[in-house]
Amino acid sequence: MSHDQAVEIEGLRHYFNVRGSLVHAIDRIDMTIEAGQFVCLAGPSGCGKTTLLRLLAGFMRPSEGTITVGGERVRRPSAERGVVFQQPMLYPWLNVRKNVELGPKLRGVGAKERRAEAERYLTMVGLSDFGDRRPYELSGGMQQRCQIARVLTNDPDIVLMDEPFGALDALTRERLQNELLDIWRATGKTILFITHSVDEAVFLGSRVLVMSPRPGRVVLDEPALFSEPGEQIAAERIRAMPEYNRLRERVRQAIQETPTAAAATG
Amino acid sequence: MAQPVTTVTTSGPTPVAPPGAPRRGSGRGRSTSWLIRISVLVFTIVAWWLVTELKLIRPLYLPGPGAVWHAFVQANSDHQVAPGVNRIVRGAQNYYLWEHLVASLQRIAVGVGAAIVVGIPLGLMMSTVKWIGIVTEPYLNFLRSLPPLGYIGLLIVWFGIGDTSKIWLLFLAAFPPITMATISGVRGVREDQVNAVLSLGASRRQALTSVTIPATLPEVLNGIRVAVGFAWTTVVAAELNNGIPGIGGLAYLSGTQLQTPLTIACIIVIGVAAVALDGIIKLLETVLVPWRGKA
Ligand SMILES: Nc1ncnc2c1ncn2[C@@H]1O[C@H](COP(=O)(O)OP(=O)(O)OP(=O)(O)O)[C@@H](O)[C@H]1O
Ligand SMILES: [Mg+2]
Repeated sequence: MSHDQAVEIEGLRHYFNVRGSLVHAIDRIDMTIEAGQFVCLAGPSGCGKTTLLRLLAGFMRPSEGTITVGGERVRRPSAERGVVFQQPMLYPWLNVRKNVELGPKLRGVGAKERRAEAERYLTMVGLSDFGDRRPYELSGGMQQRCQIARVLTNDPDIVLMDEPFGALDALTRERLQNELLDIWRATGKTILFITHSVDEAVFLGSRVLVMSPRPGRVVLDEPALFSEPGEQIAAERIRAMPEYNRLRERVRQAIQETPTAAAATG
Repeated sequence: MAQPVTTVTTSGPTPVAPPGAPRRGSGRGRSTSWLIRISVLVFTIVAWWLVTELKLIRPLYLPGPGAVWHAFVQANSDHQVAPGVNRIVRGAQNYYLWEHLVASLQRIAVGVGAAIVVGIPLGLMMSTVKWIGIVTEPYLNFLRSLPPLGYIGLLIVWFGIGDTSKIWLLFLAAFPPITMATISGVRGVREDQVNAVLSLGASRRQALTSVTIPATLPEVLNGIRVAVGFAWTTVVAAELNNGIPGIGGLAYLSGTQLQTPLTIACIIVIGVAAVALDGIIKLLETVLVPWRGKA
């Protein structure tokens, strides 16, 4: 596992202009995300998580500061930074399979090859029987899984996920968490994973970040219990560990200390 | 009228859909609404017939249904100029009524076709290239607000009294709604739909062809529907001068010659044809953009 810097954020500030007045969404973030890290980002609603993700994705330019990925300044969206949106962004004129194949298709990958890849991830997210359906014929959670399959099929180096499992039932959620961990362990992708669940933030990744709102700042940045993809321990054992519960408590505290805490605990 | 739920007939008018199967509108609701429509139609015709039969209105102003039907049949066949006169003429004004209709439909097809070919790319350019939009939008709004009758005279001076000026008129009436619909469609595309495809590695051009254009399609089809409606209302204006063959021209000419039954027959034919064409485009919408209103 190489430890070169995947993402470098320097002096990042972002303002939104809302009818003449400035909304200070991100105050000052300086941080490095190393290649292969699985970073979980938690924080109360409206603290700037999505804003940070959109800046990393290249959907907008920061008001101040710079973001570099692999030594290159982020200026526009790119296939190397896949995005799972908070609201599924599927195309209703394509069926589920064609949505999932879209990335490889745009790059000119042959039909057979991209179909196989798409089928693999559709099976992984449990949608292999729904390939011929249109996205609007799926439930919200199924749409979200389809979106995840589409991003993974495109095989980006960095995966930016905005509350990807928020709309899923507990069982599906747990299964997909494990699948995501397996993919991470197998490929060493860099993952930024936004979540509202303290448990998920502590359990899932190799590093936990907590942001506070107005202006958005990083108030907690700690390694999670297992910082290497190689380590694989049963979930029940992790949850029984005192370190796990201590970290969980610290994360919860960090979120609660922020001004609009009520909305965030979960 | 109770239908046994257990027997599943394959040819029944309202097959019982299994739970969860996609349903295109409720079959029963649809058949009642048709029943109501047909009853209203029958009632209207009977009322019309009564009013004329009781001579409440002079036949010159409002001929009865029988006279209109007779005019309709005559206009579609070879018949005597007048009862007892032995000269046989063809339809009305030397064309059958359906030939008048086809002539108008052809003009509409060419005019609206040209409007689609010009209007959609223009709308795409106006909404994606900022300066083109800024420069052309006022002219488009200007043209859109002009009544076609206002400039038909000018078009005749420019393009002659033949078909060219009529098609120009239909084109000029039809392309602003298509262009406006394209522009509003492009502006309505969610930013993140484009962001998503760019994050999948699409170039700007690929984003345009694989997301912006299909996402705009529902609005464009709607614009075409509006444009065809416009074209129908304009076709009479287009055919006021030298409009034979042409259903609009015939309606106008027969009116000036006091053949009111034929005028009314023409009006009914125009109305039915317009509604039918609109229905076809609606059908096309359900086939081409099944996601409309759902995503
Ligand atoms: N496009 C925008 N225009 C104006 N203000 C915005 C915009 N997007 C976000 N904001 C503001 O920036 C702040 C951060 O928003 P952001 O969407 O990043 O929050 P979040 O942490 O993702 O919240 P949630 O957990 O509810 O998704 C909020 O105060 C929000 O009102
Ligand atoms: Mg958000």
